[in-house]
Amino acid sequence: MDNLKYSEILQQNKVLKEKIKGEPFKVSILSNVTVNSFKEIAEYSLRLNGINPAVEIGNFDNIVQDSANCKDANMVIIFYDMLNVADNITVFFEDMDDAAIQQVVQKIYTEIDLIFRNLADTPAVIFNKFSSLLFPTGFIQSTKLEQFVTNLNAYLEKKAPRNVSLGDINKIIAKLGTRQSFDARFYNSSKAPYTLSFFKEYISVLEPVVFRITGKLKKAIIFDCDNTLWKGIIGEDGMTKIDMSPTSAYGKVFFEVQRIAKYLSKNGVIIGICSKNNPEDVEEVLANHPDMLLKNEDIVIKKINWTDKATNLREIAKELNIGIDSLVFIDDSSFEINLIKEQLPEIVTLQVPTAIYEYPAGVLNYVYKYFDLNSNEEDKKRTEAYKQEFQRQDESAKFQTIDEYLASLEIQLEIIKDDNSQIPRISQLTQKTNQFNLTTIRYTESQVEKFMKEDNSYVFSASVRDKFGDSGLTAVCIITENEATSATVDTLLMSCRVIGRNIETFFMDHILNFLKEKGYDIVYAKYIPTAKNPQVESFYEKMGFSVDKTENGVKYYSLQAEDYQGKKIGYIKAAAVQYN
Amino acid sequence: MESVQPKIYQLMSNVFEIPIEEISEESSIDSIPSWDSIRHLNLILAIEEEFGISIPDEEVGNLVNYKLIELTINEQLGKH
Repeated sequence: MDNLKYSEILQQNKVLKEKIKGEPFKVSILSNVTVNSFKEIAEYSLRLNGINPAVEIGNFDNIVQDSANCKDANMVIIFYDMLNVADNITVFFEDMDDAAIQQVVQKIYTEIDLIFRNLADTPAVIFNKFSSLLFPTGFIQSTKLEQFVTNLNAYLEKKAPRNVSLGDINKIIAKLGTRQSFDARFYNSSKAPYTLSFFKEYISVLEPVVFRITGKLKKAIIFDCDNTLWKGIIGEDGMTKIDMSPTSAYGKVFFEVQRIAKYLSKNGVIIGICSKNNPEDVEEVLANHPDMLLKNEDIVIKKINWTDKATNLREIAKELNIGIDSLVFIDDSSFEINLIKEQLPEIVTLQVPTAIYEYPAGVLNYVYKYFDLNSNEEDKKRTEAYKQEFQRQDESAKFQTIDEYLASLEIQLEIIKDDNSQIPRISQLTQKTNQFNLTTIRYTESQVEKFMKEDNSYVFSASVRDKFGDSGLTAVCIITENEATSATVDTLLMSCRVIGRNIETFFMDHILNFLKEKGYDIVYAKYIPTAKNPQVESFYEKMGFSVDKTENGVKYYSLQAEDYQGKKIGYIKAAAVQYN
Repeated sequence: MESVQPKIYQLMSNVFEIPIEEISEESSIDSIPSWDSIRHLNLILAIEEEFGISIPDEEVGNLVNYKLIELTINEQLGKH
């Protein structure tokens, strides 16, 4: 992230946006917490890598349903956060008995299965493992929540198909510390737990996945020799003085780097040498030095000569028939490193650090960033089997299972008309709701009260709960009477917390039936577009209304009450209906 | 003390995605249409990072115009 501040990232984004064009790379971020500030950080990182991003944040706490709707995304990132899981349970987590915990576990297993199935065709899915690190615990005691998280993660490991990478956010929290990762203040006010530092680190560890799907992974590491594979200069120090001995303080660092290189050569990474030396000197070391771990058989290509290294690296890429941008070059000399940076900026370079003990870790950090080592044959076979299994599910089956899943939630709606005690909450919802809001008219408490009092208007509310918890009053509809025979839907809104469960359909159906019974012949409604509410622009069409006219984007609808067929949502029950 | 105004204007311009010329001492949540709750959160985060301060929880919701933002930042900077 170049240690840029958030505001600088926003500014850079504006500049880069004009430069980086091309087919947009679509990223959907699904989450049960607020992660909106991640959007710009992710876009910036993608643009830095020459990718034109289209990043979308899903609806709040709507991962399962959203996962069915991001079929054309190139990458989906899932923040299924334990913080909000614990919040949504009606009792303190540690207070749950085994049976209650088991119920929550089963619910999340079902959701994980559905998410994986819905995203079977997405090229790359990053699912963050569950974490208990942000919850207080003891040093020698452990909590039920910790065990719960362990179980969920075991399930993820078992079920994750090939296209799903499990992200370990504990590693980020370990690096930054909880205080740098977690903002309790904004979690409390806005359900936004993560700091900007967390997101910057998150996107940086995500780069290998981005490289993988955009074909930007590296294929070869090219080493210099003197002071890179061993301590000392072979041309001057000779065979006996160069050092890569596992028993000397300096030497063992180079020994460790050679061990890593040998391991990489066995795992699909091309290892090469590019060194300014007399070839016979280096060949002598390779063949006969007792501490030389890397052998000729591990090294695919060698350029040992006095030609400049830019020319040599070009040759290497050509002979290996790979792109010049597939090379990583490691050298101890700042002269050589700067030459390559200047002449061949597409090559990633690593200069052997002066603090020599940091060298092996430096190499490994590059390995985990630029190479993909996790693909042995057994792995591939296992994940292929999963993929086939998912492909057998056709479209209709997918939706059927979502319904089955929704049915398992045992959703109940309590619909209440004109209840004075609800005035503050209803007014607040009209003030705050932007996305699922057909007209976006804001009302004060006294205005709501007036609608309730008067005989020719009605205020309906719906409170939603399921077997896991209570979402409270989340939907509002205000009806006004025009004359004895017709009524108008003045306001229809729903909190985004419960989007995606057809609650709106059930609620509206109930109200339309009420109006029909009251003897209204026609129901009028309208959709007023705003920047936030395009998701409901066709809601009334779905309910059976017809468009009478469209003026300045505002759609005017009507519905003949006698034509209304009713909409049944089998998996929602009316818990109570109360008319005041 | 150095004026914090240029930095705040730049932050507001970046967060709300509007030209810096459109920001003035009179700017408020009512005069900037893109100032919604999400961007408000992002603005607070950007301010804290830029000035190396922490805005008290009870102030976060109140910073709804330029003058209040400037006042709070100066208050917090003065504490150091």
